Amino acid sequence: MEKEFIPRITSFVCKWCTYTGADLAGTSRLQYPTSIILLKVLCSSRIDPVFLIKSYLKGADGVLIGGCHPGDCHYETGNYHTRRRFKILTEIFSTLGLPKERLRLSWISASEGPKFAQVSNEFTDKIENLGPNNARENMFL
Amino acid sequence: MKKKIGVYVCECGPNIADKVDIDKIIETVVAANNSENVEIIGDRHKLLCSAAGKVFLEEEIKNKELTHMVVAACSPRDHNSTFINVCKKTELNPYLYKMVNIREHCAWIIPDKDKATNKAIEYIQGGVARVQYQTELIEKKLDTNPDVLVIGGGIAGIEAAISLAGKKRKVTLIERSAVLGGKSVFLKELLPSQAGKEYINKRIKDLTDNENIQVFLNTEIEKIIGFLGNFEIILSDVTNKDKKTEIKTGATIVATGFGLSDVTEFSNINYDTKDEVYTSLEIEKMLSEKGKLKLSSGVPPKKVGLIHCVGRDEKKYCSQICCNYMMKIANYFKKQSAKIEVKEFYKDLCLPHKDDQKLFNLTKKNGVDLVRIKEVSLNGTKIKYSRIDGTIEENEFDMVVVAPPIIPSDSTKNLSEILDIPLDEFGFFQEAHLSTNPVGTSTDGIFIIGNAQGPRGISNSILMAHAASGQIRTQLIPGEQIVPEVKVSEVLEAFCMGCKNCIDVCCYGAIYFDEIKGISVVNEAICRGCGNCVASCPSGSIRLKHFTNEQIYQEVIEALK
Repeated sequence: MEKEFIPRITSFVCKWCTYTGADLAGTSRLQYPTSIILLKVLCSSRIDPVFLIKSYLKGADGVLIGGCHPGDCHYETGNYHTRRRFKILTEIFSTLGLPKERLRLSWISASEGPKFAQVSNEFTDKIENLGPNNARENMFL
Repeated sequence: MKKKIGVYVCECGPNIADKVDIDKIIETVVAANNSENVEIIGDRHKLLCSAAGKVFLEEEIKNKELTHMVVAACSPRDHNSTFINVCKKTELNPYLYKMVNIREHCAWIIPDKDKATNKAIEYIQGGVARVQYQTELIEKKLDTNPDVLVIGGGIAGIEAAISLAGKKRKVTLIERSAVLGGKSVFLKELLPSQAGKEYINKRIKDLTDNENIQVFLNTEIEKIIGFLGNFEIILSDVTNKDKKTEIKTGATIVATGFGLSDVTEFSNINYDTKDEVYTSLEIEKMLSEKGKLKLSSGVPPKKVGLIHCVGRDEKKYCSQICCNYMMKIANYFKKQSAKIEVKEFYKDLCLPHKDDQKLFNLTKKNGVDLVRIKEVSLNGTKIKYSRIDGTIEENEFDMVVVAPPIIPSDSTKNLSEILDIPLDEFGFFQEAHLSTNPVGTSTDGIFIIGNAQGPRGISNSILMAHAASGQIRTQLIPGEQIVPEVKVSEVLEAFCMGCKNCIDVCCYGAIYFDEIKGISVVNEAICRGCGNCVASCPSGSIRLKHFTNEQIYQEVIEALK
């Protein structure tokens, strides 16, 4: 029998909003899949697009970025930069022949524990439908 | 040197111990990482944040001569600082320790024990990989100057200066006009009904009598450099630009007040200077100077129309204080003579303070006709309006009072460039956070209070003055040093190509350009460590300490294995 596919989703989240939102999901005993691998940065603007590409090359099936809602960045305007970089990166992904559906950017505040769980569940379902990442074979680089 | 990494799993009572197999975790992590160069020491403890737990960790670090430490427990938000303090009691640099959250992000979200155990192993493996690439960071201490500069001598600035000044904290207050008190000196009454002028004049006297406050009139700020605790400032005389004063402070408060928009710029308001149309501030001045409200012919008015909300739709914000003071003005007329017919035209009423309802009831009791309208236009002293039910009416008045919108003070734009503090969409100073820190700005040590931040009344302005002075008092304690953030960015000289991308994205102005070397340089005292510049650097020549690419990669790669 074929082994069950459990996606691996590297989730780069900012310390102030989404990481704290994930904490709240835990404190509220909400359930979300083990596919989510949380990686903390201080601000979502620290997330170099290369992190996402690197994640792919190392076998991540999806990448999630979580930051504060626009206007709520702890560092004033950091998440606006994140948003622009994310947009550009999705374009680059298409150019490289990678499905940009495997990337997701979500604004999740510190008080949105349920939203964190919901996004994690939704995105995991989506990646399960897309199947395992075969980036290494398809990548043009 | 062989690395000795201590990995300690906290049981957190039953919270973690019941949900994951801690022994299996330790066994797996030790087996996976032990090598020629790395020795893993794994152990568990009932409650690491307890007094006994802290002693246990301290002993482990000392006795086993750990080079690195990983603590797998709750969220770092709960106890990261606890374990940093443990490290500080030992030889282990706290930046060679890493906390892994296996409670909120693992034990509490995964009901299946096997799956939760595997998840915990994955996270701890990431932590063990990352901690080996972390480097020692040394916290530096800086002397600070507790003194404060207050820009603006209105009521907000005066209150802030008085609140802050003391034996160990000198305050310099500058005012670009020749008088203190700002616009509040024109007010006959403050709301709800206490004497206005007397209060303001008393506070001006308190200010000028205070030996710890130095007041400069006709003075503007010309230049400011530095950071929280150490600002160097040049002031210049408005009447004689060459007359300059240099001062040093630890913080700066911007209390530059507001301006009033010219109401005739709005298409629905049309009148001539000879018409009996006054702005609210002109009414206050008339009452203060002449003691009575009269038409220019010298006779008192018989029929007065008051228009609220002028320009609100165009400006796209509510000026907050107009409803309040327009009722006050309506009552001025009624107090002068109950026979004066007073009509107020408003679109919405904004009465947020606890005494406002009383004022509203009084206004109605005094016989003021409050008319809710959809649209209004003024031609001379003729007011045409559509009621909320759609009926259109027109009345002729012999005096009209309009409430102009509060706009940023005309110095705001220039000041924003000097201070490097951004403005919001309306042109007021942009606060650090509208709900959580409305007096802070993008620069530590620079605060905005009163109408400089947005329209508000006197009580709220005073509240902000105290909020800012409170923050300054906790941030700059006379005689104490401050420890600036150590997780800051640094530019690797050899790789920087001088594109200045980083300077563009930094919202703190923490990066400057060294023209001689042609490279960007980070001012570590200003940098807050968000890492935006790192992601913006095309040549990869900026490093954010403690969040380097390598550290993050190692964590990702290990977690993905």
